[in-house]
Amino acid sequence: MSTYRITIDRSVCSGFGSCADLAPQAFAVGADGIATALVVETDDPAVLDAAASCPMAAITVEEVGKQEAA
Amino acid sequence: MTRPRRVLIVGAGLAGARCAETLRAGGFDGEVVIAGAEPVPPYERPALSKEHLAGDRDAEALELRPRSFWDDAGIELLLGSRVVGFDLGARTGTTERGAQLRWDALVLATGSAPRRLPGWDGPGVHVLRTLADAAELGRELRPGSRLAVVGAGFVGTEVASTAHSLGAEVTLVDLAAVPLERILGAEVGAALASRYRDEGVHLRLGAGVERLERGADGRPSRLVLADGSEVPADAVLVAVGVSPEVDGLPGARDGSIATDACGRTEVPGVYAAGDVAGTWHPLLGRRLRVEHWTSAAGQGAAVAHALLGEEKPFAALPYFWSDQFGLRLQYVGHAESWSTVELAGEPGSFVARYLDARGEPEAALSVNRPGEVGRLRTELAAAAEHRARRLAA
Repeated sequence: MSTYRITIDRSVCSGFGSCADLAPQAFAVGADGIATALVVETDDPAVLDAAASCPMAAITVEEVGKQEAA
Repeated sequence: MTRPRRVLIVGAGLAGARCAETLRAGGFDGEVVIAGAEPVPPYERPALSKEHLAGDRDAEALELRPRSFWDDAGIELLLGSRVVGFDLGARTGTTERGAQLRWDALVLATGSAPRRLPGWDGPGVHVLRTLADAAELGRELRPGSRLAVVGAGFVGTEVASTAHSLGAEVTLVDLAAVPLERILGAEVGAALASRYRDEGVHLRLGAGVERLERGADGRPSRLVLADGSEVPADAVLVAVGVSPEVDGLPGARDGSIATDACGRTEVPGVYAAGDVAGTWHPLLGRRLRVEHWTSAAGQGAAVAHALLGEEKPFAALPYFWSDQFGLRLQYVGHAESWSTVELAGEPGSFVARYLDARGEPEAALSVNRPGEVGRLRTELAAAAEHRARRLAA
């Protein structure tokens, strides 16, 4: 499986929340109305869709490598 | 219900792909098979009319996941495999080539097919739905080539924008008085029409197409409109909407497959997601069939959770976007009709709110104001909850 690293530009985020809809295990919209990443790295490819759906293009997802299946 | 051992997903678009990978992410260790009609792995379809057609993103860059992902995840992709028959008793599907595919659970995610105009086919006449369609259309777009786009919906207007940016001379034809009228209304449509005109696109609105005339080489030469006027054209894009691909699918009725909030159909062991699914929306309190990217992804994941024994419906408000002529359109909510449209801002940067008879917003559109979309969503969600409470009372 691949590993993905998540970065959110919180200065750009508008709190729309589609990231948390599509990848709730990786994103949440906080009390301040701004999205945060719940994990830095994940093997869940849903984060790619979350980044693509962001109305502000505030999310960057980088593929940082592969981990061998155990 | 016992946990299925073999899940067959029919349709290799976003909904099917998300369903498969969510199953794996949730620890499902049975077989997962995706049968797709197209010969390519799941890809990002919205880019076909935009970055891809413009030549800025090649086909490989559109793929939803890295090539190695599917193998690594143990998801079997049967590409070029359209499933044409279903035997519910034996729980098998038959592909066009006669292969038999068995399932314990069946997920229907076949998406949509473009509508065509009878007799409008052959060289130089295009639709845009697949990578193959985009490759053919792309060859027509050169500086000075004349493209007639029939249908001013989202595909038509996005292609008009891309073709125009490539130097083609574009004429946009529609029976409606303004572009995108049915979805965005007359007021917003008028604002968009003036933007397109300013950009240099020819608009022929309020007149249907009568016929297509061809030259000796069989290629288009001109369109004749219902009012007798003509539109010269070297190539034609027919962009008159899509129909969900539900022919022959179990549980299909009136162009959609009714499901509960988690994607279960009325047929035991059969699920549906994406364009074909009329899914119960918990927040809106009604069934909704939409053709949105985020809904396809969310519904695909919801079906996977249901298969894993978890109730996790996709309950977000419908949302879609369009990029065209330097405008970013973002639409939240769902309004099939409305009483009034309230506009705030200036041409090129405004918000439209679609209000019901009580003055409550059912949907909103932001044009080049992405920073307002979060606030609009919060407002619409509150209005939807209010409406649901009132109806329940």
